[in-house]
Amino acid sequence: MARIIDWVDDRLNLSDVRHFIAEKGVPIHTQKIWYYLGGMTLFLFLVQVASGILLLLYYRPSADEAYESVQFIVTQVEFGWLIRNIHSWSANLLILAVFAHLFSVFFLKAYRKPRELTWITGVLLLFVMLGFGFSGYLLPWNELAFFATKVGTGIAGAVPIIGGPLMRFLRGGDDVTGATLSRFYALHIAILPAITTLLVAAHLLFVQRQGMSVPIPIAQRLKRGERLRQMPFFPDYILRDVLLWYVAVALLAALAAFYPWELGRKADAFAPVPPGIRPEWYFLAMFHTLKLLPSHILGIEGEVVGVVGFGLAAVALLLVPFLDQRAAREEPSPLFTALGIGGLVYFVVLTIIGHLAS
Amino acid sequence: MTRLSTRFAARVMGLLFLGGVMSAQHVSAQVPVDGCVTCHAGLTQSELSSPVSAFRTDVHSERGFRCVDCHGGDPTTQDKARAKDPARGYRGKPRGAQIVTTCARCHSDAGLMRTFAPAQRVDQAAEYATSAHGIRLATGDQNVATCASCHHAHGIRRVKDARAPVFPTNVAALCASCHSDPQHMKGYTSSGGASIPTSQRDDYEKSVHFTALTRQNDLSAPTCNDCHGNHGAAPPGVDAVSNVCGTCHAVFAAKFATSAHSQIFDRACVECHSNHAVLTTSDEMIGTSKDTLCWTCHEAADDAGFVGAGRMRTSIESLKTALAANSDLIARARNAGMEVSDEELALAEVRTKLTQARTEIHTFDPAAVDQVVNEGLKALTAVELAGNQALADLQYRRRGLFISLVAILLVVVGLFLKIRELNLRRQ
Repeated sequence: MARIIDWVDDRLNLSDVRHFIAEKGVPIHTQKIWYYLGGMTLFLFLVQVASGILLLLYYRPSADEAYESVQFIVTQVEFGWLIRNIHSWSANLLILAVFAHLFSVFFLKAYRKPRELTWITGVLLLFVMLGFGFSGYLLPWNELAFFATKVGTGIAGAVPIIGGPLMRFLRGGDDVTGATLSRFYALHIAILPAITTLLVAAHLLFVQRQGMSVPIPIAQRLKRGERLRQMPFFPDYILRDVLLWYVAVALLAALAAFYPWELGRKADAFAPVPPGIRPEWYFLAMFHTLKLLPSHILGIEGEVVGVVGFGLAAVALLLVPFLDQRAAREEPSPLFTALGIGGLVYFVVLTIIGHLAS
Repeated sequence: MTRLSTRFAARVMGLLFLGGVMSAQHVSAQVPVDGCVTCHAGLTQSELSSPVSAFRTDVHSERGFRCVDCHGGDPTTQDKARAKDPARGYRGKPRGAQIVTTCARCHSDAGLMRTFAPAQRVDQAAEYATSAHGIRLATGDQNVATCASCHHAHGIRRVKDARAPVFPTNVAALCASCHSDPQHMKGYTSSGGASIPTSQRDDYEKSVHFTALTRQNDLSAPTCNDCHGNHGAAPPGVDAVSNVCGTCHAVFAAKFATSAHSQIFDRACVECHSNHAVLTTSDEMIGTSKDTLCWTCHEAADDAGFVGAGRMRTSIESLKTALAANSDLIARARNAGMEVSDEELALAEVRTKLTQARTEIHTFDPAAVDQVVNEGLKALTAVELAGNQALADLQYRRRGLFISLVAILLVVVGLFLKIRELNLRRQ
């Protein structure tokens, strides 16, 4: 092994990399547990990439064959059921990890200067992950996904001015058809992965360049000259990361074996809408909010108000580092903490209510 | 200012007055005064005034028909004698056969009907003449139903109007208004001389047809006129029963026609299913026990019919039992998350086979029933194999999971020990 490293070193001069690895440390403090969420998110994303590539070997993206190909994967292909179930479960755990990572960074105010760009790429990655979830949900071309996509793309139609064209662009026509499946497939396996690669690369680069953020009270102590203990990234921290990744693999395997992802019935545009149509859990809070809104608010359609509201909330989320000026000055910012708690409570409560209502 | 206001008000008043006069002139020009309505609307006797209010919603009124079109007379005068002068065409209130003649003046005129309802038939009067009602009317019986008995005289509504007495869900009550009245039906006998029962409505309301029509809102389900005819209403002849039932139950009728029983059963389908009280069928109707229909005729154990009935019942029961067991098997696999949609499709096909087997019973040929049942059982064998395989796969996965978890646990323990060792070394 050492000879191989020497051979590569002779040609590429890895001394900088070795120096970086040797020097890289992770601050040790009471909140350091939240640092693991970033690594967990990255690991689950890599699971998605690997299982997704394996599914691609058999999946056929057409309205006539998509359902049958997934059926073939889970019944005929050796360990196909495992790959498909891991892909489905890992997708959900990934989005859960992204949300947890986002909220932990938010509450630790780790978005503050100089990490604004890290935050922005992270929030963009959250949106892209939601795009992955939305586009991937339709790919098995089953009844629930078909009608949920119809509802979801219909909501996109409520966006002011560009709603109609946006909906037709997403659907590839006026209605959800095989053309929608082709689009979602392209989005899911080419466009979004390309965007994700760029964003993940930028996100990781920023993290490596700037190191780990520490909470504001600790940063204030550091300013006063206190020293903070560091844990070497290699091998101490990475071993802990790997240990957690193994736990995640065990969890994924158990979920795949005990709670296989149901395939349901093949989509039929002429069939009556089945009961219990609802989006995946991570869209449920937004979906239920739209359902709760009155038909008109100040003369504007309730759905339009809701969609515009979510759009503004997304923009506000992106701009949090610039809005929270107190955090930027390394001062406690209780207002943003309260907003974060409010947002979290709203998300959890509406998701539960939406789940119970449907 | 005051002068201006006064002038403006005068102009407005003038315009309003002019408008009022013009609209009054317009109405009088469009709707001439009908003397019949003017007089009858003001009469205190309900039977004389109610036709006016009832006719307002009548389908004929909507099309511009007026009292004079049926009753004759002169509607342009309010003088009773002149209005009801037979010399002016007054025909008075039609009764009995006159009612049929009055309605037929238009409804049997294809040329005239084409201008109002081109798709409507024009043979109602001819059909009525062949009906039990029409035949009795021709003999002078004034108690039988004529057009107005069913459609009303003045508040006639379209057949498709749910408020019409002849709307499918109202027909049974309409017919029962006479046929369930023992007093009204007293003295009437069937062609065989037997008195006509008055229990038809009660029987019908127990039937699957009534349930489908009124509870499930299936307007295609039969009511009285679907089997007896409407204008040509008459009891279907004995020979016609299977044809009448066969208009809807075509497959059953075709199977029955090939059976030995078609030559034996005097009342065809009615022998087993009754006529008005057609109850929900069940597999318990066939077999060899005393409560089956087959036993009524085939009670001797050495009777070929007794043996055949037993064989058909056993055959049907074997398919039902196997279907239930395999449905349970596939449900267990599905609930465990296994992909069994092909097997569910196969189960749906076997359910169709069971229905087909029940249809084959109408051939009264055990071999025909066996053939369909065997096809179903063969399909179930494949379903059972796939269901058991799915459950075996599930166990295999869980064993595999257990082994994987043990391996993962070992790695986790190893990593934990390594991390602890590093910690100790750093301290």
